[in-house]
Amino acid sequence: MSQSILSSSPYTHNNQSVRKVMLQVQIAALPALIAHIYLFGFGIAIQWMLAVATALVVEYVMLKLRGRPVLPFISDMSALITITGLVFCIPPEAPWWVIVTGSAFALTFGKHLYGGLGYNPFNPAMLGYAFLLISFPVQMTQWALPIEYTGEALNLLQSAQVIFTGQIPGLSMDMYTGATPLNEVRNGLSQGLSVQDTLNNSALSSLWGLSSWGWINVAFLLGGVWMIYSGVISWQYPVGFLGSLAAISLLFNQIDPATYPPVDFVLLTGGTMLAAFFIITDPVTASTTPRGKLIYACGIGILVYVIRNWGAFPDGIAFAILLMNIAVPLIDQYTQPRVFGHNR
Amino acid sequence: MNFFMLVVKQLSKIYPSAKRWAYRFHGGVFPRYNKSLSASQPIRPQLIPEKLILPLQQQVGLPACPIVQVGDKVKKNQLLAKPSKDPQKALSVPIHAPTSGTIIAIEEATLAHPSGLEGVCIILQPDGANQAIENALEVDGSLPKTPVELKSVLLKSGIVGMGGAGFPTYAKLPNERGRIHTLLINGAECEPFITCDDLLMQTQAEAIIKGALLTAEALGAERIICGIETNKPAAIQAMKKAAASTSVEIKEVATVYPMGGQKQLTLELTGIETPHDSHAVDIGLLMMNVATLTAIYRAVSLGDPLTSRLVTVSGLGLEKPFNMDVMIGTPFNSLAQAAKPKVKLDYPLVMGGPMMGFQVKSNEVPVLKTTNCVLANPPEPVDMQMPCIRCGECMDVCPVNLLPQQMYWYSQAHEFDKVEKLQVFDCIECGCCSYVCPSHIPLVQYYRHAKSEIKAIHAEEKAVELAKQRHEFKLARIEREKQEREARLKAKKEAVKQAAAKTEDSSEKTPAKKAAGAAAAARAAAAKRAMQKGNKPSSGSDKAMPSARLKAIEAAKKAAQNSELEAGSTASMKSSTGDAKSKARQAAQKAAQKRAQKVKAQSEPANKDAKTNLKSESSSPTKEPSAEAISLDLTQTSEATTASKKEAARKAAMQAARAAAKKRKVSSSDHQVSSDKPSGERSDNQTHQQDENSDKRQKAMEAARKRAKQRQAEKNQAADNQENT
Ligand code: SF4
Ligand code: SF4
Repeated sequence: MSQSILSSSPYTHNNQSVRKVMLQVQIAALPALIAHIYLFGFGIAIQWMLAVATALVVEYVMLKLRGRPVLPFISDMSALITITGLVFCIPPEAPWWVIVTGSAFALTFGKHLYGGLGYNPFNPAMLGYAFLLISFPVQMTQWALPIEYTGEALNLLQSAQVIFTGQIPGLSMDMYTGATPLNEVRNGLSQGLSVQDTLNNSALSSLWGLSSWGWINVAFLLGGVWMIYSGVISWQYPVGFLGSLAAISLLFNQIDPATYPPVDFVLLTGGTMLAAFFIITDPVTASTTPRGKLIYACGIGILVYVIRNWGAFPDGIAFAILLMNIAVPLIDQYTQPRVFGHNR
Repeated sequence: MNFFMLVVKQLSKIYPSAKRWAYRFHGGVFPRYNKSLSASQPIRPQLIPEKLILPLQQQVGLPACPIVQVGDKVKKNQLLAKPSKDPQKALSVPIHAPTSGTIIAIEEATLAHPSGLEGVCIILQPDGANQAIENALEVDGSLPKTPVELKSVLLKSGIVGMGGAGFPTYAKLPNERGRIHTLLINGAECEPFITCDDLLMQTQAEAIIKGALLTAEALGAERIICGIETNKPAAIQAMKKAAASTSVEIKEVATVYPMGGQKQLTLELTGIETPHDSHAVDIGLLMMNVATLTAIYRAVSLGDPLTSRLVTVSGLGLEKPFNMDVMIGTPFNSLAQAAKPKVKLDYPLVMGGPMMGFQVKSNEVPVLKTTNCVLANPPEPVDMQMPCIRCGECMDVCPVNLLPQQMYWYSQAHEFDKVEKLQVFDCIECGCCSYVCPSHIPLVQYYRHAKSEIKAIHAEEKAVELAKQRHEFKLARIEREKQEREARLKAKKEAVKQAAAKTEDSSEKTPAKKAAGAAAAARAAAAKRAMQKGNKPSSGSDKAMPSARLKAIEAAKKAAQNSELEAGSTASMKSSTGDAKSKARQAAQKAAQKRAQKVKAQSEPANKDAKTNLKSESSSPTKEPSAEAISLDLTQTSEATTASKKEAARKAAMQAARAAAKKRKVSSSDHQVSSDKPSGERSDNQTHQQDENSDKRQKAMEAARKRAKQRQAEKNQAADNQENT
């Protein structure tokens, strides 16, 4: 990757590169990955490897088709971030073809067809997720239950068996799968149960007062804070997103606690933290101006809440992000910062 | 360093981004400075190279004019080239000999310029003796009292801004005392590798402070603030010591690139954000580099012109980097060789720092007055340029708070109007954005390109605009001429109306004639008569149709009196060619046409012939002479009346006469009833009566004829006399 010599100043660089940025993001996702494996079993690891394999093939084919140099672009690691985001969104024990089609769709339609890295208006991971949600609604809602229900997670072999064959000899899959807390609350509400009842009935809080879902979110939070610290992502995204989500859920929870879940539940279930630090921070599809970032993130926060509570899907992250992606050019245009020496 | 700074300093150890809180402007980067490479070395003794290359142009503006010949022996500080033009109008500074020696050539050589420009240089071969002219500028050691005094010394000494831009210092100063309230000293030196200002402050703090004081004194500036980055503790100490008993304030500023940018340091030291459309001088601020101030001090107190400067020779490719008081004109290569390159210098050297400097096209280029650093960094492989991932890093570091990513996007798409809208011209090309871009996009290169493109587009637009203006001007001129013509016509009508009105009252009493009027009238009458007679030339026609003629004469008198001047002047505007003949001809033709119309109205039998005749005359140029001859013959007007003005006047008078005659015919018919009608009404009449009263006109004619007959004898006599003259 050593090509031309710099022909004009500056003749120095801080040695940052796209690949390094992407790798840092990947590293920041590791705590969540480990927590996931611990709490839900090896399903996610298998899914992740399936996704990587798919990504490699898709990237190679697409780059070849587009006549681009394969090596520099396949090693820019941006596909890795895309599929990592996607893998966390699908059930760990989902059939293998779910992640394969999802990844292929995300990379092909989400990135390459728009001209590759940097040119895609929609977040590829969320595009793939939305595609899966619409195409395979059943598979996408059958989540593996965390160990607090099952006592012990499936081991690697069992997970592989489930993913590739759909069953494990001698075991009933119903024991291992169920609804996510978001779904549970939703179902409860439709059955006339108040949110408090649903939350109290289920033994959702187990490990030190936090559910497995909560722990995954905390792991994402950890990685995210590290990314803000090291300057990989801008603080505006998570602050805007989580801030607006917390504010709006606090408001509605105060109005009617029976229908609207409390703030901590909202922030620590579903893909909230994943979105806050790993998805909406995808710079390509996000707003770039400082104020624009905040507006963009706030918009997603509000949309997520709206979709979760009044929409057709239990978790509105994918659609909220895609919707805000559309608004990005507009936001960018109206949030240009004041240039030095100019009056606004 | 105050408490907040201390907190920030401690905090930045665990959270590097906290450094940003320590200064006021946006963005900025923290590159690897590598300053100790050269700063740790003492200043080396001056090197006398084999030859000095002194470009005639080392600064913004025009090149200087050499006043020495090849073969001349010169001494140090001797004037070699004087400012080319009036230096107050065109920026130009003199050049002095850095050492004694012989002029061996005045020829083209590659300059230290990003584009590898060639320019005329004086080549000086040093003799090694370094014989100097003391006090070459002939100063008496007294301090300048006014900016103008200071400026004259600065001009003579050839001092330019030594921080980089190279704007002639004399031209930077305002002429009036008191326009600058604060003098800012730039000792920030934020570029990596460069340490010459650092060492200058360490070794020549006194000179800097004195230079600043005398400059502030001459300009009437009240405050002097010096900003030095915190990474130069020795310089800060030396400067503080030198400034101890003076009014100069030494301020430590955060170490961040580009702290040394003029607007950035101004904001940092004064809290004033220089508006984008004005210069620092406009808001009472003046910033000078420490090296410039030293040169000013030396010029004013010792009479030394600017012939050498402190230069950093550094870089990762050099074994022994150093600082040296280098003679202007020393080739880069000889300096780099003196620093023991690690490998052969087969790569281009850089003039300036790694952030804003540029690679020279040839390593033999000379040190200029603006050269602060000769950098030898072996080329490093750079990562391939990737697509922009919109990470916003560039925006976060831009000290001007631009949106580099968007500017890049539109530059790449050649949408230069959008780039301009994003204020690309405020970009100081500091390179921060390129420095941090993870996609390794040479952003600054795009902005430079966009700037030049936009300038070209504007130049083109200007040219188009100019052409458009020219075209519009032409159209406007044509329109104006048309309007003038109309106005003239109107004026004539107006005049005629007046004339007619007056004639009614006074035609009997005022027989005085004007030559032009009479002549015109005579000619008009003659033309009319000629037409009535089927355009047959007749020399003895004066008496054949006396009534018409007399009519014309009378009208012409008045008309000429009233409108000669204005009509003449307007008419003369058009007749700048002075072609009297053609004027006369035109007049005759017009008169003839009118007559023809009149004749038609009067139902005279010959009108058709006359009309056709006239038409053919006026339309075919070959017949013009004959028409001319006719009119001239008829009127017996000598061709001696050639002055165009007179002709024009005559023409106007003639037309007036015609119209007046016509009018009078009409008005005289109802003479008794409406002799004092307002002219407006009359003009109404005039327009209305065109068709309705041909009989009236005939009556009027008759009336006029009667009147005319009364004085026929003497008037004929007089008219003939006039015509014949
Ligand atoms: S730093 Fe480079 S990649 Fe990032 S937004 Fe700016 S131009 Fe794009
Ligand atoms: S080069 Fe221009 S756009 Fe880039 S950081 Fe500097 S001022 Fe901003």
